[in-house]
Amino acid sequence: MNPSSNEALYELCGFARVACEADLVMALEVDEAGRASPVASSPPHAFSSFNLSRSGLFDSAWSAIPAAASGFRLPTAVIHALPEMPASLLFVPAPAEHAPKSGLLLLWAHAPSPAPLIEHVRLLASSVASTLAARREAVRQVAMRDQFNDLLESVPSGIVLFDGDGQSAMINERAAALLACRPGSHRASELAAPMRALRERCANHAELEAAYAARVGNVHFAAAHHWVLGDKTYEVDTHPVSGDGQHGRIWLFTDVTAELRIAATLRGLAQSDPLTGLPNRRHFEEQSAQILTAAATAERAVALLMVDIDHFKQINDTHGHPVGDAVLKAVAGRCNDVLREGDLFARFGGEEFIGLLTITTENEAAVIAERLRNAIASTPVLIGQIAITVSASVGGATTKTTDPAISGILESLIESADAALYRAKQAGRNRVIMA
Amino acid sequence: MSCFAKLHGRRSGAGPTVAILSHGFGTDQDAWSALRPWFEDRFDLISFDLAGCGPAGADSYDFNRHGSMFGYADDLIEIIDELGVQSCVYIGHSMSSMIGAAAACARPELFSRLVMIGASPRYLNDDAYVGGFEQAGLDQLFASMAANFQAWVAGFAPVVVGVDDSQAVADFSRTLFQMRPDVALNTSRTIFGSDMRKTARRVPTPVHLIQTAADVAVPVEVGEWLAAAMPDATLDVIDASGHLPHITAPDEVRRILEHRLAGIVS
Repeated sequence: MNPSSNEALYELCGFARVACEADLVMALEVDEAGRASPVASSPPHAFSSFNLSRSGLFDSAWSAIPAAASGFRLPTAVIHALPEMPASLLFVPAPAEHAPKSGLLLLWAHAPSPAPLIEHVRLLASSVASTLAARREAVRQVAMRDQFNDLLESVPSGIVLFDGDGQSAMINERAAALLACRPGSHRASELAAPMRALRERCANHAELEAAYAARVGNVHFAAAHHWVLGDKTYEVDTHPVSGDGQHGRIWLFTDVTAELRIAATLRGLAQSDPLTGLPNRRHFEEQSAQILTAAATAERAVALLMVDIDHFKQINDTHGHPVGDAVLKAVAGRCNDVLREGDLFARFGGEEFIGLLTITTENEAAVIAERLRNAIASTPVLIGQIAITVSASVGGATTKTTDPAISGILESLIESADAALYRAKQAGRNRVIMA
Repeated sequence: MSCFAKLHGRRSGAGPTVAILSHGFGTDQDAWSALRPWFEDRFDLISFDLAGCGPAGADSYDFNRHGSMFGYADDLIEIIDELGVQSCVYIGHSMSSMIGAAAACARPELFSRLVMIGASPRYLNDDAYVGGFEQAGLDQLFASMAANFQAWVAGFAPVVVGVDDSQAVADFSRTLFQMRPDVALNTSRTIFGSDMRKTARRVPTPVHLIQTAADVAVPVEVGEWLAAAMPDATLDVIDASGHLPHITAPDEVRRILEHRLAGIVS
């Protein structure tokens, strides 16, 4: 509620009461249907609303002469605001656009002695009407702001809204918690420091500074970045909004920690082999393209190794599938232990594994292949009480290209390595053969 | 639509004098069923549902207009004017008691007698005035109404009925449930927040107060206060309990009506 227009109406009522020696003066906001809200009175009194359509007040042509109250049907609330039945009354129409039957109602407990100012009370009408209109506008704005606040607090995001005038800003409760200040209206300048401090607390703040620095001064800029704050990640979306026809800006802080975690889990599930935890064949094919391109760009050679466990069917047949699975897991673990960071190693299918490595010398591939073979075969795999002797055959192939168009390379490497693996098996297993 | 129609007005009986029955909070005009035949035999009888009460009562309720007892008094006067009634005997229960008093102050010529059953001009204690309630207790009442209306009714109804009458409790609960909870809450705030003592002091009409000896909403002190403050009032404390004697002890109430309205009922 706009206090100034309310106070003005109380002042007007008070002035009219003193000037006219009235016992009660009310400022009434009355719509076309006669629904009346008493918005101010002198003496002050709390009124609920009432209807004046049957009162007779609107059927008289009012001049400056009070009329006998007995000729009107006044609402009981008005009568009870006076210590006794009113004797006379005067209505001063003050039509406002939204409430055309508004006016000042003056009541006297006794017939008024002719106070000289009564005939001038009509001069207050335009002030009353314009103040009622101003009050209505203020009420409307408060209602809109309340509605807006409800909306602000009902969304699951922190919101910082800078008005188009560049002077004021508004933040909701969630944003206030992030920025460590109170929710509600602020001067725009008061929020700059907390916003900066929050960004500086982010783990990725250097990246953010760089991202935003380029946009400084661009009023049209819109961006969404992840702000990493402790164990939480917020997606921070900012874009211009028009406020007062100028350039306002909104910042939306949405906690996406849980979503990101779920997305990462799902991605992992889709990319890995559930038994061994190694990348699956599809993920291998996706990742190999990156390795091949990077190697071609760096003019480095690559090696592809196929690793196949010897007599795996026999292990399954002798000890059962659970033991077979345990062996696969153990082999995957042993291989992982001897590979280098950056080597891609995946379960290719069945008891077959595949590795893709960047190498400096052709010999390096053979060394790593031998390291894998040895890691698998050096000691028996212990499953519970059972010790199982395991070995694997390894076929390898290398290539070097400087053509970043890598299509077909993986396929031909696999073909060569597969052929080498076949030969290793033929030659008695548990050995490495490079193509 | 007329106010009389909007408030589900009924008119029956063939007597020469108009009597108007106005029920209290949580009931509707069916609350008069036990006394209705007695009135119909003697009066031109008018009854209606208060705004917010009766079937689809929320349609007649205006949160601004009915935010004070005067809004209800305006409704009452509107009905009387609509029907062209020149003068009436008014019987109000509970909140309708002070509604009648407010209307009689505004339009004294319309009312020849006011009968008030379980009347209270103010429910809150105030210095020496005993209203029976403290603000903290009322706040608790409003909070439990707002939290779970159903549970509140289940607790409130037997206490207000005040006698072991399962049919009365069931009827009162039914009419309470008939109210939309937000309307019921606002109405009870209006009632319990009202201070009609000034109105009581200036009521120009002869008043007959009836109350029970044990009424959770209205201590006997309230009836005594009203009888002393009103310019022309009688008080009958009947040998009954509860806030709804017109439902639970109609014979007792009828006996008082016969005695007090003897001059009018020929």
